[in-house]
Amino acid sequence: MLITQLKSKETIVSLVDGKKVFIINCQGCKEVHFPEKEAAEFQKELAEDGNVTGIITTDYICNPENMKLRLEKHMSAIEAADVVLVFSCGVGVQTIAEYLEDKKVCAACDTYPLPGFQGVTPLEYDCDQCGECYLNITGGICPITACSKSLVNGPCGGTKNGKCEVDGDMECGWERIYRRLAQLGRQDALKCPVQIRNFATDDEVKNL
Amino acid sequence: MENYTKYKLKGNDELVSLLADKDKVFVIACNKCFKEFETIDEPDCGEFEKIAAEQGKTITGSAKVDFLCNKTQTEKKLQDMIPEGTEQIFVISCGLGIQTVADIAKVPVYAASNSLNYTGHHGMALTKKSCDACAQCYLNITGGVCPIVDCSKSLINGQCGGAKNGKCEVDPDKDCAWEKINKKLEKQGRTEEFLNQPVQVRDYSKVNFKVVNDYVKSIREERFAGYYGGVHPTENKEFSEHISLERFPEPKVAVISMSQHLGAPANPIVQVGDTVKVGQKIGEAAGFISAPVHSSVSGTVIAVEPRMHATRGSEVMAVVIESDGKNTLHESVKPNKGYEDLTPDEIIEIVREAGIVGMGGAGFPTSVKLKPNKPIEAILLNGCECEPYLTADHKVFMEFADDIIYGLKAMIKTVDAEKGIIVIEDNKPDAVALMEAKIADCDNIEVVTAKTKYPQGAEKMLIKRVMGRQVPRGGLPADVGVVVSNISTVKAISDAIQKGMPLIERVASVTGEKIKNPGNYIVKIGTSVKELIDYCGGVTDDDVLIKMGGPMMGFVLSDLNVPMMKGSNGIIAINTDQTQEVACIKCGRCVDVCPMELTPLYFAKLADEKDWVGMRDRNVLDCVECRCCDYICSSKIPIVSKIKAGKNAIREMK
Repeated sequence: MLITQLKSKETIVSLVDGKKVFIINCQGCKEVHFPEKEAAEFQKELAEDGNVTGIITTDYICNPENMKLRLEKHMSAIEAADVVLVFSCGVGVQTIAEYLEDKKVCAACDTYPLPGFQGVTPLEYDCDQCGECYLNITGGICPITACSKSLVNGPCGGTKNGKCEVDGDMECGWERIYRRLAQLGRQDALKCPVQIRNFATDDEVKNL
Repeated sequence: MENYTKYKLKGNDELVSLLADKDKVFVIACNKCFKEFETIDEPDCGEFEKIAAEQGKTITGSAKVDFLCNKTQTEKKLQDMIPEGTEQIFVISCGLGIQTVADIAKVPVYAASNSLNYTGHHGMALTKKSCDACAQCYLNITGGVCPIVDCSKSLINGQCGGAKNGKCEVDPDKDCAWEKINKKLEKQGRTEEFLNQPVQVRDYSKVNFKVVNDYVKSIREERFAGYYGGVHPTENKEFSEHISLERFPEPKVAVISMSQHLGAPANPIVQVGDTVKVGQKIGEAAGFISAPVHSSVSGTVIAVEPRMHATRGSEVMAVVIESDGKNTLHESVKPNKGYEDLTPDEIIEIVREAGIVGMGGAGFPTSVKLKPNKPIEAILLNGCECEPYLTADHKVFMEFADDIIYGLKAMIKTVDAEKGIIVIEDNKPDAVALMEAKIADCDNIEVVTAKTKYPQGAEKMLIKRVMGRQVPRGGLPADVGVVVSNISTVKAISDAIQKGMPLIERVASVTGEKIKNPGNYIVKIGTSVKELIDYCGGVTDDDVLIKMGGPMMGFVLSDLNVPMMKGSNGIIAINTDQTQEVACIKCGRCVDVCPMELTPLYFAKLADEKDWVGMRDRNVLDCVECRCCDYICSSKIPIVSKIKAGKNAIREMK
């Protein structure tokens, strides 16, 4: 699950550059991220010039088998276009780009990470998949994602009235951690040895 | 299948030292997601228990939970799970699951596992393609090959120069992404285009956590608005919502089915050759849960025989009447006293005799609903019309507002309810405004505007949304003091009382992107679907899917020579869809959207294994067949048809 936002109109228009275009919308995970209305409005404008050879809306274009099945009956319209404009996350654009090897396939959206994408629901909290879970010493609040600076050994000291100095709207993660530990009577957890974060890459972590 | 296991048990030494000063441990393991769906137990839980036992620790219990990060469901599951005397909980899951439990549990929660880093494996379907969600997609200048993920150094302005024989210098097993990009651009003749690009500067501040967090918050609010789950399919109401209501031309032949309701089919009481008039009873109710059927035209009965039924998919007894086009009213059609002067029993009798059944689709005899035998606090008028495309109820609001209120008042009197609540989704602001104006002088009627979400019109969801009450398992709305009725049904009640007219016509939409001239019509029951579609100019081409009802719960019509019925709120002609069922990847979205809070992925699997008992134990009978799970399934598994098969098998078991 990712969040996508439309690229600016100017950018998309320059991508199309007055040529024939075929549009593919993916609304697979749209419950959580797709700018459906904005995309539809923009596509309507684009179609006014008569250069749009077709618009289809499907879901999960990142599922290559189903994507191929669904594109099949639109192949002539796709052939007639110079540019295939994909409104989806980066995964979808790449799936299409690989399938339509000879076509100029363009992304009309930018993709943002959605906290908690590895789970099922967008949650208030996030896991950065750091590979060395710190939740045991922090009462179950993640210092990597709840602290702007991802500090693992305590607060930076820059907190003002419980708010983060980086983002005044954000609560200080370490104050939250302290409160949670105090509530559980576990302040002792803070006496643990100094933590050193391991920034090893994916494969190295996996092979631990 | 790729397996994106998200966690790994912490090392033995770390776990031993973590357990050193602890005892009375409860263990929760997440059943993992984004992997092949198997029912075997994950080994990590046992492994951890073994280590704990070796350290002489007491384990108060353990549990394996699906989708631990689904807080709503996890909260309910944990309620009675943790035994007295548990001093701490150890969780084996990714960081999300651990944080979810830490948030809910009253005792300290510890992580027994580390999350693994799978940067870039986004997307719902499992795929090796990766996107780093950098918020400034470069795919447009690189021919669709991602330089952030595919290049070890995430270079965005060209290769580093360190590639050897096309392989990356960081990882010689990896192809140089920039060589791939160059080849692709060359092939498409776009090299020049790339070379003319200005130098790209990556903006690391673009991923703004504030924006993302606000966004997530708004999504969560929407997701949990009123009730858990649900989906919001593209509404597609624009095809017909602005078209005003018209009377559909008199059908030449009306095929009136004896089974347009839930329960026993009616028994025909006319014979071939009989002359019938509009509103004349032609089928007698065959039991308590049944309803009579009336003629919608005046003319001659030309056949009494089984005819194709739209929603049953087989032939069902029907009376076929050739219209004389005169619309002569039957003598029995005459106005009753006003509802104020009728007793509740008289109103129920009028409703029963008028053959009124739920017109939202289910077709439950309304007279039965009006005898709840329980105190009723409120009557909920369902005007949500949450199915995409359909605009029939919307038109009923706009054209028959006074009749709706009259019918509602009659219902309130009949069941002695305290109040009536008209529920309209916020995509029909004109209907909301009109109804609010009309009820201005009614003390006991209110209008509630509900945020558009499917399946809001399902009665259990509606009750939860408006009254905040949960209909008990296997129970009826009356159990929580509510009677739910569709607005077309209420309009029919008004007609039955005020005009003495039985249910012989209804409002239906004929719409969809493949209908030449969409519209909303007052259609006589028994009119052929083919006639309706032809009148609307037919379909634009043959590659079309025609359904009776909406796209979510409607019935596919393979034969258009079927009649409109009391519950037919629309005919839609829409694009076909080609999909292929692939293996479940345990993405968990069906669980996320199921408004009944069930586990659809298990139903699909258990149905394939013909494990009907397993399905029953997972409460498959609670399923309302709203098809949210079908809609959201990333593997395109026809979950609901498997559920239906399971339900039938369970009923046969009894």
